[in-house]
Amino acid sequence: MSEAGAIGLQWAWLAPAACIGAFGALALPALLRRNLPRSGVLLAVGAIGFSFVLFWFLLNSLLNGAQRDFTVSWFDAGGDAFDLGLTIDPVAMVMMGVITFVSLLVQIYSLGYMRGESRLAWYFAVHSLFAASMLGLVLTNSLLVLYVGWELVGICSYLLIGFWYERRSAAEAAKKAFITTRIGDVGLLVGILLLYYKLDTFHIPTILSEVQAGALSDGVMTLSAILIFLGAMGKSAQFPLHVWLPDAMEGPTPVSALIHAATMVVAGVYFVARMLPLFEAAPAVSELVIAIGLVTAVMGATMALTSNDLKRVLAYSTVSQIGFMILALGHGALAAAMFHLATHALFKALLFLGAGNVLHAIGEHSDVDIRRLGGLRARMPVTSVVFIIAALALSGIPPLSGFWSKDEILQAIWNNGNPATLVITIVAFFLSALYMTRLVWLVFFGKLKPENQSAHEAPAVMTGPIALLGVLTLVFGFTAPDWLDNVLSLPGEATGFASFVLDKADSFHEHVVLAAISSVVALAGIAFGLALYRHDLKLPEGVDRALAPVRTLASNKYYLDDAYQWAIDRVVLATGAATAWFDRYVVNDTGVDGSGKITALTSRVLRRHQTGQVSNYILVISAGALIFVVAITLAA
Amino acid sequence: MTTVLVFFLILAAMTMIGAIGTVTARNVVHAALFLILSLLAVAGLFVLLLAEFLAIVQVLIYGGAITILLLFALMLTRARESTLKLDNNQRVIAFLATGAIFAALTVIFLLSDWPDPIQDPQRPGFTGIAEVLFQQWAIPFEVASLVLLIALIGAIVISRPGPEE
Amino acid sequence: MIAIEYYLVLGAALFAVGVYGVLVRRNAVLILMSIELMLQAVNINLLAFSTYLIPRGDTEQHLGFIFAIFVITIAAAEVGLALGIVLRIYRNRSSVNVDELNRMKW
Repeated sequence: MSEAGAIGLQWAWLAPAACIGAFGALALPALLRRNLPRSGVLLAVGAIGFSFVLFWFLLNSLLNGAQRDFTVSWFDAGGDAFDLGLTIDPVAMVMMGVITFVSLLVQIYSLGYMRGESRLAWYFAVHSLFAASMLGLVLTNSLLVLYVGWELVGICSYLLIGFWYERRSAAEAAKKAFITTRIGDVGLLVGILLLYYKLDTFHIPTILSEVQAGALSDGVMTLSAILIFLGAMGKSAQFPLHVWLPDAMEGPTPVSALIHAATMVVAGVYFVARMLPLFEAAPAVSELVIAIGLVTAVMGATMALTSNDLKRVLAYSTVSQIGFMILALGHGALAAAMFHLATHALFKALLFLGAGNVLHAIGEHSDVDIRRLGGLRARMPVTSVVFIIAALALSGIPPLSGFWSKDEILQAIWNNGNPATLVITIVAFFLSALYMTRLVWLVFFGKLKPENQSAHEAPAVMTGPIALLGVLTLVFGFTAPDWLDNVLSLPGEATGFASFVLDKADSFHEHVVLAAISSVVALAGIAFGLALYRHDLKLPEGVDRALAPVRTLASNKYYLDDAYQWAIDRVVLATGAATAWFDRYVVNDTGVDGSGKITALTSRVLRRHQTGQVSNYILVISAGALIFVVAITLAA
Repeated sequence: MTTVLVFFLILAAMTMIGAIGTVTARNVVHAALFLILSLLAVAGLFVLLLAEFLAIVQVLIYGGAITILLLFALMLTRARESTLKLDNNQRVIAFLATGAIFAALTVIFLLSDWPDPIQDPQRPGFTGIAEVLFQQWAIPFEVASLVLLIALIGAIVISRPGPEE
Repeated sequence: MIAIEYYLVLGAALFAVGVYGVLVRRNAVLILMSIELMLQAVNINLLAFSTYLIPRGDTEQHLGFIFAIFVITIAAAEVGLALGIVLRIYRNRSSVNVDELNRMKW
């Protein structure tokens, strides 16, 4: 990497701009009901490809220490100036890499998966808009712009979940996702406004330095951190706002891979990482973050274990894995969280795309019961191999990427957390290995079902991306340890992932005992899974009975959906009905109509005076003139 | 009681009889004739007020032109054939209002402190009026003639039958 | 010369009668006649003021006379125009009763 190839980091704006351009070029004809040539969708792929290339140039500049913070004036309103700006720090750079790379692969994959769709141009248009808004979200240094991007990715998610809106369940799921995340977004907006109210700026670096300088009172910091975390909980599907993510699987599978596994759902993680100094300054909130992350991780894992839908298992797994990231952030382990974010993006995108291949093979789009599948390994060699690699990575088998990132999370808890958290996390790791084993075994091993005899491997345009992801899943973990520097003798101080993200000579601290524990736990999970599903191991009756309530609880999604439904039916709708009644009969009839009625009533009385008889008018005029004359005379 | 006062009272009585007749007559033509009586009496009053020229103008324009015009209007609108009442139903209140106006004006006039009348008032004569009118008031006079002309044209345009009639 | 109040009170009476006519008459032509009565009252007052109150040699010599001439002029124009309008109304509505001309209400 040479200085000659370096470009200024301010050119990062070209990436979202290119994607917005592609969105415009594709969406306009789609909205005008004009058909673009089918090859027109290559515009979107080209734009995101350009962004991916740009990412490497920017990375080069960043490593060479280019200027990172840029601001231009956006508009002035009253005395307040609103700025547009970029802050390209390593955290943003990791996100940009993940977004551009996964987007590129998913869009290429979609060329095959979505072949023959009638609204293909619209599909790619929204993909481009998503990429643009996601890039804008991560690259900006203004909370205002971030919020705009935050909402835009929400809209894209809504549009893509409901892409097959002819299906009622898809439309419902899209609404559910949008509304549930909105609950968190309200908190985010209030939090942003609170910070603006107190600090009079949207500029993130300024806010963070003010926070570190102690410019805010404890109460304000705690409140704004909680509110911002609320937004992150909604977007990143954390308990208790995680309910939308499984339903979001109604969308096309590449969408699940991109938005609901690799990028949008980790926006919350990214945002918390960005605002980490604020959370560190509010220890109480950190405790909350840890608690939420832990609950989500365990709950997601158990639900993944009991779910029977191919994509929903992966969705619950995503919920659980993001829980780990949040958990790491709660312990202040920025590098560990970002590393797990990156590795998870790779292997979870792979898993979803692999699941997409399976669906493609059996000719379905979603809602596939994994107990109906089996034995697909022989029919789909490439898919099954990379899927298994990704599953092993997720389980945390060394030396795959997931092992390293999970290990770092354990490390962070070991250093800063309490033992109970550590134990629960290890249990969650065990469950991760268990549910992945279950999934892999039920889908790819065992006997091929008769109805799936026609299953076939996907075309190269679909296997290519997942093969690439598989290779990365294998090797990406090696960027973690700092011994890489020593072995390869790379120039510079330290090139491990941690030192890159933390922006200083730091590294992950491998702890041999912890690494051994997590490996053993992962292997135990896999072994237990194989015993259960391959060899039909029957649990001892007592254990089985003891687990039955948990199983019931998990397979019913902890009754959260039912609770929400109850709350909506009984509380929200009832309140709405009462409010509507109040509005209709009190506000409307007395307040709004009342003033109108008073006017009408008065006019009905008063208009009698307007007889239309000129004589009457003249009479009144005469009387008026008389009064006038008398008044003047008396005054004189 | 001077001669002037006698003449004044006679003319005033004629004026008021004519006026009251105009507003109370049950026949529209009678009303017009009462009006002529009133106008002629006013012309006599003008003579008492040393304005012979205005008296002549009064007789010519009011007594001649305007009354004839009114009679033509009555004829063209077939007012005599109408069997409807000539008055509306606010006579009492109108009488009260009118009485109040008269009372107020009279009280004001009688209570006002008028300067002593000029004992030898100037009689303008035809020449005097002409001099003032065509020297001091020439421009208003011309404007008034323009107004008359426009009113004339307007009256013709308004009363001419339209293409649909 | 008699006192000015005679003329003024006569003018007030004449004016009041004219107002009464305007108030009670239904026929538009009769209303016009009543208006003429009111104008006569005004003219009497103008002439009385001019004769009684303007001293000899004043710059506003014969002002009342001039005003009276203009009043007569304008009255002539007004009557001509008003009768044109009355004829027009009669042709459209077959009536010159002003209490039937009550479309412009409410």
